[in-house]
Amino acid sequence: MGLYEPPSAVQNHSRHGVTKMHGEYKMPGGKLIVADLDVRNGNLTGVRISGDFFLEPDSALTMIDVALEGLPAAAGSKHHAAVIAAALGRHVRMFGVSPEAIAVAVQRALETRP
Amino acid sequence: MNRSDWRDYPWRLVHAAPQPPALHMALDEVLTEEVAARRRPPTLRVWEWSSPCVVIGRFQSLRNEVDADAARRHGIEVVRRISGGGAMFVEPGNTITYSLYAPETLVSGMGFQEAYEFMDAWVIHALHGLGIDAWYQPLNDIASPAGKIAGAAQTRRSGAVLHHVTMAYDIDAGKMLEVLRIGREKLSDKATASAAKRVDPLRSQTGLARADIIERMIATFRDLHGLATGKLEPRELELAANLAASKFSRTAWTSIVP
Repeated sequence: MGLYEPPSAVQNHSRHGVTKMHGEYKMPGGKLIVADLDVRNGNLTGVRISGDFFLEPDSALTMIDVALEGLPAAAGSKHHAAVIAAALGRHVRMFGVSPEAIAVAVQRALETRP
Repeated sequence: MNRSDWRDYPWRLVHAAPQPPALHMALDEVLTEEVAARRRPPTLRVWEWSSPCVVIGRFQSLRNEVDADAARRHGIEVVRRISGGGAMFVEPGNTITYSLYAPETLVSGMGFQEAYEFMDAWVIHALHGLGIDAWYQPLNDIASPAGKIAGAAQTRRSGAVLHHVTMAYDIDAGKMLEVLRIGREKLSDKATASAAKRVDPLRSQTGLARADIIERMIATFRDLHGLATGKLEPRELELAANLAASKFSRTAWTSIVP
């Protein structure tokens, strides 16, 4: 149908020496949160958060990805969550997802590193 | 903002002939905007599908959710809707899908959880009338003794709320699991689906044809909230056809979360 790229785009190891990492977290009482990311020079890069949660407005998803981009991978979940919360401010409404839960998904992705 | 009541509005029913997946996605966006602009009264739309598809949620990763090869093999289109929530596998006749378009004042002051339950209270009522001991299961499911019946999703824009629900009538679970990649984390919840050949909580618990269940649901809505038969306006169909072509059939939207 040519609607989208085939899943061959999914790689465990890219040609550029960065490792593609994937983590999933089912938030208790919430929804599934997925983190796909790379680490380059110790910093998060190519961060893509996804899942079956709800965000209003929908543009908040990009704000989350942008907020995480470039953060030190070793900064820890608390710091990652605080940066997400600060980026979203008070006007974004979340249902089935939270900054803390996203940070857990990121942490799980980081722990998949071979 | 004072909360309004169902009976404050002249609810309209739209139940059109089968339409393609991208047009359904577009109609949800157009009709939400039309209700927001008060060009259309609040509406219950019952969907009929002209072809099979996977509908993924606004925030789901396309390649994490869908096995593209399996979808191609089965001739199943993949579309993305404007609301969050999970993926659904649709073949004509296997599900019952409906949308509600209402002014946001109907749910003003409510949290997400309360608003979801409120918008579907009539459906729980209808299911009880059909002999199913159904209940609302947070965050966004309708459940029954024979398993999950439905998943709901809401989004709000321009002062209107869109609430839509897909209910499992008789789903081919094997094909669904081929096409949808259900994450490791989620698999524990879906163990019943993978064990069964069919996911058919509505069919098995009522013994009724899909069309009869829809008729009973519409009758329940009419009794509780009032409902007059309506139709899509030519202007709405034109807007939706354009949006289906320019947005919902395009990779830029479908793979917006790759």
